[in-house]
Amino acid sequence: MSATGRSAADEYQALVAEFGALAAGGHLDPELADLDAEQLAFVRHWARVINVSSGALAVHFLDRAANAARLLDAPQREEWIVGALDVFDARGLGAGMAAFDALPTDAAPLPKGFTGRLADVTVRLGHFVHGLGGRALNLAPSENAFTDTETVYLPAEIGEHADLPAVARRYRLLAVFLWAQNRYGTWRRAAVQGLLDCPRPELEWPVFERLECLRLEACLARDLPGLARDLAAEQYPEDEALWAPWRALAAELLAPGASALDSLALLPRAIALPLPRPRSYQGAINPARVNEVMEIRLPQEQAKLKEALNNLEDDLVGEEIEMEGGGAPDPRRFELKPPQAGGGSSLSYGDKEVELSPELQQLIDSILQDLGELTPEELDEHARNAPEPGEDDQGAQNEPLDAEPPGKVYFYPEWDYARQRFREAYCRLTESEVMPGDPAFIAETRRKYRGLSQSIRRVFAAIQSDNQRLKSQTFGDDLDLDAIVEAQSDLLRGDELSERLYMQFRRLGRNVAVMFMVDMSGSTKGWVNDAEREALLLLGEAIETLGDQYAIYGFSGRTNQRCEIYRIKSFEEKNIDLVERRISGMGPKTYTRMGVAIRHLGALLAEAPARSKLLITLSDGKPEDYGSYRGRYGIEDTRHALLEVKRGGIHAFCITIDREAQDYLPYMYGEANYIVIDSVHKLPYKVADIYRKLTT
Amino acid sequence: MREHDAARDCPISMHEDPVTNAIRTEENLFLDEPYYEPGGDEVAVFTAAYAHNLPILLKGPTGCGKTRFIHYMAWRLQRPLITVACHDDLTASDLVGRYLIRGGETVWLDGPLTRAVRAGAICYLDEIVEARKDTSVVIHPLCDDRRLLPIDKLGELLIVPREFSLVVSYNPGYQSVLKDMKQSTRQRFVALEFDYPPEEKEVQIVVKESGVDADLAQRLVRFGHMTRNLKGNGLDEGASTRLLVNAAKLVNAGVAPATACDNAIASTLTDDAELLHAIHDLSRAVF
Repeated sequence: MSATGRSAADEYQALVAEFGALAAGGHLDPELADLDAEQLAFVRHWARVINVSSGALAVHFLDRAANAARLLDAPQREEWIVGALDVFDARGLGAGMAAFDALPTDAAPLPKGFTGRLADVTVRLGHFVHGLGGRALNLAPSENAFTDTETVYLPAEIGEHADLPAVARRYRLLAVFLWAQNRYGTWRRAAVQGLLDCPRPELEWPVFERLECLRLEACLARDLPGLARDLAAEQYPEDEALWAPWRALAAELLAPGASALDSLALLPRAIALPLPRPRSYQGAINPARVNEVMEIRLPQEQAKLKEALNNLEDDLVGEEIEMEGGGAPDPRRFELKPPQAGGGSSLSYGDKEVELSPELQQLIDSILQDLGELTPEELDEHARNAPEPGEDDQGAQNEPLDAEPPGKVYFYPEWDYARQRFREAYCRLTESEVMPGDPAFIAETRRKYRGLSQSIRRVFAAIQSDNQRLKSQTFGDDLDLDAIVEAQSDLLRGDELSERLYMQFRRLGRNVAVMFMVDMSGSTKGWVNDAEREALLLLGEAIETLGDQYAIYGFSGRTNQRCEIYRIKSFEEKNIDLVERRISGMGPKTYTRMGVAIRHLGALLAEAPARSKLLITLSDGKPEDYGSYRGRYGIEDTRHALLEVKRGGIHAFCITIDREAQDYLPYMYGEANYIVIDSVHKLPYKVADIYRKLTT
Repeated sequence: MREHDAARDCPISMHEDPVTNAIRTEENLFLDEPYYEPGGDEVAVFTAAYAHNLPILLKGPTGCGKTRFIHYMAWRLQRPLITVACHDDLTASDLVGRYLIRGGETVWLDGPLTRAVRAGAICYLDEIVEARKDTSVVIHPLCDDRRLLPIDKLGELLIVPREFSLVVSYNPGYQSVLKDMKQSTRQRFVALEFDYPPEEKEVQIVVKESGVDADLAQRLVRFGHMTRNLKGNGLDEGASTRLLVNAAKLVNAGVAPATACDNAIASTLTDDAELLHAIHDLSRAVF
């Protein structure tokens, strides 16, 4: 019942009676009928108010009122309406309608009770676990708390708590204990095998859990004393008597060097002891899941390590040959020193200490978490067998090719790092236009990101209206005191008097040209492609408000004979509707041959008349193409191409969603010139922000 | 020479004016050795570059010890130090000097760079990329083998004495393309790269700078590393060594460690509520 005491149906009838005739085609938005009486009364009240100002605006409002009622609470709705009316008053009907379109989608959540929910603390907890260090762990909801060494699973709800901090604390302790399992080696491969080989897991696993619990508590007390205090506060004092014999038995587990294997070794002796209750923060163990995940991860990481060590060895041997003036390198091996107090592990080659990149350090630490040591196979150079890079793409050329898109043909050289020289005119590149796609995608994106697009526009407008103070002008808004003093002193000395005595406030002259180079390789299919397109639509709109020169091109290709560039917007293109249609028409193609695309687009960008030139790559992975372009060859060629364009005064920047990008992007783009977005869904939210940071 | 006033960290001049409590920048000499923990061979490289009149570029993230290093070198070489914090309104004449009017007369006033050249001091331009582009007009001739400072208004060319040295700093982590150093400028310098010190050394620095015990310093540094883990995941920068020292000083003055971390570190790093919570939780975990 509404405040007027009428039912929803009555309210709806009243609304139809009053505004039905006004609406287009004589029909109100049917969704209005779903609203309750109070909401309908609210809508009718405001429709009446708006109608006084403008009938068209009232109709526009009625079309959006149902949606607003769903998304916003009452004060927000009112703010939305009043805001739009202000815009209408100031700037007329068109702007007022646009203001009604811009529904704040990121509205504040409604207040909730304090049922402990993971969703409420995920962001904070994610940062926390990330900050603790070690292998990056994801958080995910699940029935019970456990970890598979890559993800920490936590229950989606944990019952009633006094307030949000209590909920956060409860989750924090659970997460930290699971993090500790990973960090302090509960899941060494040998331990996992030992657990899986247990003849009676239902008896033995709980014992192992208690033993590990004691060991991990000791580890945490050493490294994170604050947390250990919190953990202690959660323990049941009445259980202490039960724990005492465990502590006596497990004294050696509490020492710094103890590992999960020691816990396993104690199993037979501990199994006779009565089991205390598990700790409230302890979570469960799931060796089978751990094993599955490790089976996948370990070979991958070992392969990566081999590759990295091979590269490292090439560099080291190369250096030596230069220093010693030739001679075959004597076969020596890498040697790993265990982590020193406070520091990470260190690697030496022969008698030389090797400096580890943070990425390699992380990789080694991750493998150490699984194995406890690096096996001789990884470190011995004879066991490592590197694939020979730099072979020709002959194999691929026999592949049947699809019909080639029509367009202008260019030839570009490619850098072969093995030969240390260019392969001249090696890449054949065609530039063609993207066929305009479905306009529905544009409308959908606009609708989906209405709030975001509004906030981007606001931020960009703020950049634009950033005033610059120009001193020593012939006319202007204010006197320039410095200039006057100077002129006065010139006058006194009998020098010529300057006329430039004023200060002007002027819009910052932005003199920026940006080239967006968008990955259209096959791997972008699905979410990535959608996110790229959405991001481009939002960004294009925003850059238009700034007035920067910009161009958008897609790239893909298959072998050096089929490099393709897809034009979405050239610098000259002014038809924004067409550009948007083309963005919507972008689709995944084949592979990622990046070097040639950078050379081509770099050349286009170099011709743009601007002081600052920026080449932004949107990508989902490392350069890769059929044949030999994989791995180091592709990375070296891309890096070389980037160096070439940088020499022309172009700044290159890469936005990627590849989480492993840390391994190669710093090498290609330089330390500060890339950003990794951890989830593709965030792309549209982040790109505009990055653009703003880069150009202000 | 006066005894160093231990209560103050700032450099004490030989010529401090007893009335105004001010010192002339040309006479800003370091009497006591500033505490500096060398990370590599930067002292030797700086000394060699100084001996051969090569200008020096210090690269590195904020709060990793660039300024302290230059203080240390000024003390070691026994040269006065003139520091200019560059900003986007800093013009060439701010550096070189300008005419002023005093009692109806015009008086020339040297800018800091000119004063440094005249005094044979070390001139340190902090965050050089922030300065206006026209400053390169004076920086370039100073930095190559010409070693000249043109003062157009006076119609003078100042010949630079051997003792003068130009040092600039620059943080390559800022990602704006408008704030990049031009090749023509950077290629005139000898570049020294700085980064946060390794863990044991950082502990040592925190102990020495703040007077806290090694255990507390160790925990602070561990916390610092946790915030550096978050770099790129919401934080633009992790906690610098300077922030860790600041927090340690607060602790030494009786503030609870976790509170000191919140105020001296977490809140200075970010305004994002979720991140603040997470950093807060991390500091609680360590203390």
